[in-house]
Amino acid sequence: MAKITIDNFVKNYGDVKAVKGVSFEIGDGEFVALLGPSGCGKSSTMRSISGLEEITSGTISFDGKSVNDVRPRDRNVAMAFETYALYPTLNVYENIAFPLRSAKWPNEKVDEKVLDIAHRMELEPILNNMPAELSGGQAQRAGLARALVRAPSVFLLDEPISHLDTRQRYRMRQFIKHIHMEMGYTMIYVTHDQEEAMALADRIVVMHEGIIRQVGTPDEVYNDPEDDFVAGFVGEPPMNFIEGSIAKVDGKWVFQAKGQTVVLPEHWQSYGQKMPAQVKLGIRPFYIDVTLDPQQPYDLQGEVFLSENLQDNCTVSLDIDDLRLAVVTTPAFRPARHEKIYLKFNPAYIRFFDLQTGKAIRPQ
Amino acid sequence: MIELRNVSKMYGQSTIALRNLNLEIRDQEFFVIYGPAGAGKSTTLRLIAGISQPTKGDILRDGVSILKVAPENRNMAMAFENYALYSHMSVYENLAFPLKASKYSKQEIEEQVQRVARILQISDLLDRRPGFLSGGQRQRVSLGRAIVRPSSLYLLDEPIGHLDAKLRHRMRAELKAMAVDMNATVALVTTASREALALGDRIAILRDGILEQVGTPEEIYSLPQNEFVASFVGEPPMSFLDVEPVQGDGRAALHIHGSDVHLPISPRVAQNLNGGKTGYRLGVRPNELSITSQHDEQHHTPGSVDVIEPLGYCNIISVRVGDGTIRVVVDPTTRPEVKETVWLSMDGENIHLFHNEKAVVHPVGNKKITLNNNH
Repeated sequence: MAKITIDNFVKNYGDVKAVKGVSFEIGDGEFVALLGPSGCGKSSTMRSISGLEEITSGTISFDGKSVNDVRPRDRNVAMAFETYALYPTLNVYENIAFPLRSAKWPNEKVDEKVLDIAHRMELEPILNNMPAELSGGQAQRAGLARALVRAPSVFLLDEPISHLDTRQRYRMRQFIKHIHMEMGYTMIYVTHDQEEAMALADRIVVMHEGIIRQVGTPDEVYNDPEDDFVAGFVGEPPMNFIEGSIAKVDGKWVFQAKGQTVVLPEHWQSYGQKMPAQVKLGIRPFYIDVTLDPQQPYDLQGEVFLSENLQDNCTVSLDIDDLRLAVVTTPAFRPARHEKIYLKFNPAYIRFFDLQTGKAIRPQ
Repeated sequence: MIELRNVSKMYGQSTIALRNLNLEIRDQEFFVIYGPAGAGKSTTLRLIAGISQPTKGDILRDGVSILKVAPENRNMAMAFENYALYSHMSVYENLAFPLKASKYSKQEIEEQVQRVARILQISDLLDRRPGFLSGGQRQRVSLGRAIVRPSSLYLLDEPIGHLDAKLRHRMRAELKAMAVDMNATVALVTTASREALALGDRIAILRDGILEQVGTPEEIYSLPQNEFVASFVGEPPMSFLDVEPVQGDGRAALHIHGSDVHLPISPRVAQNLNGGKTGYRLGVRPNELSITSQHDEQHHTPGSVDVIEPLGYCNIISVRVGDGTIRVVVDPTTRPEVKETVWLSMDGENIHLFHNEKAVVHPVGNKKITLNNNH
């Protein structure tokens, strides 16, 4: 196990700047997710930590010692990929034993170690099976077991479950979290799927176009995003954004957009003076109450575009002029197309971002 | 109406893509074909389109076989999974192509192309060639080409599967609204549970070339006919526990494997347990349960917290109960400790019960619902 320090790390491929100088730390035994859309630099970062790629500049250290010049196999890093190429001519036992035999472990120690990991990973019933006889999930577990059998200092996972179906993904998520809890490895998990990152990681590094947008716990990244990119990328359905301006009307600070006015919540009032004039209001689809009754107090009004009944909830899409918003409501509430609908924001969950810079504005 | 009657499809001598499939797609219906990889979903669409011929069985439109009708004469529009765009044409020309083929006037072509481009948010890409587009952009052009011209049937093979979350949500709603406004008949293939539920008037669930169930979203979700459908529809997926029917103190109960929990069951449930002692599993949806830290009247099934997954708007708690795991969706402020004992609101009434994978009991409130088409 190891603490990993990434210091001003740069990775170029020819003229393409994949990672533009990032710094962060991964604690000993910590589970960190590198999250971002394709091309954000997350895989380059992971491959550089593993040593599979040479870095352009900066330092990567394990436990305070630079590994820039350490060969991949001497870094004691285990990697798991989406596809697990098991050796087809070896049974599950021998597949798991393979890295130990290559390292010239004596037979009885190999046996002890293989049986131990097989027990932890619920592989005992299939140790004698050949890879061709395994289900997809079993093959994946066997592949993980082989990656883990040498007790690596760092365990790297690159989109290991992105192509599984929903049921398998939930099962594997639980399983990977178990490995972390029981074995305490330092783990780095690369994914473009924000839900996986949220569900699994102690902390999330959100990347975009080669830079870090935020490093934080799932709670911080979700509830206190640094900027509008993080806010929009984390959470599904994605956060609603409304561009508008801040003004003082009748002694109250308000947000104005699309010809409508939202009075700022109480805790923002004393901060109104310091807000930029042009802002983006952000609010998640879960934190808007909707009603068809104009007599109820409301912040904004719109027109229903479509109600989608997902059985456990209903997602209402609605339009305010040319702006489309989404609201998650109870399955019983299913307004018809083109009905007038009234929105009330939960004040605790309103976020503001500077329209120019995208940076979060936080009332002090 | 399109009917598939006893349709089978073999590839080569041994690969069976579809086995004796019977389906009907009604006029003006949004029909979703849902299932895992290799289920035969795309094969079904290709057979309807006429790109591929069934090995056995018949395909009819309004009661008349169309097997001998060439694909181009079936008046169907298809969006392919691999997009199949014309690489030497601009996006505009790709979208205009079906209209030109049907001899639309220049002005009509311009109007329709611009309309579809606006809905799909590709208006600024019209001059580009497909080679200069991202996967998500190409997918929208492919979808646009399928819907630009009125058609008796739209066949859409995972038309929004490669879009990012934001666009996928938006396009899902656009697609549904368009179908409703145009009274269109649509058959759409997907591998996403939420997409199937959101879009379908009816959903057919396929696995390994076999139709597992067909019904409204409500029916599929509330009254799954077997464990596969139950586990494959809804997210987070339903949890299952092995149980054994027992008689104790003169009252029927379900014993949860690996625990000393006995869930008392009513005569309504008990009368459906005619299959002996083995092969029973109960199923519960994670969003239909709650947990407490103290035993109370509602929460009397103990379990041990295994994994906590914070998703921001909720937490998913996996709880070990006997040999199995039950997932519960709780609000984000509920954060029990790992290994802590919690109490689940699980009883013998509000459960699905399966025997050898077939559903034998559904929760008491889950009655067959007649739908008034509520768009």
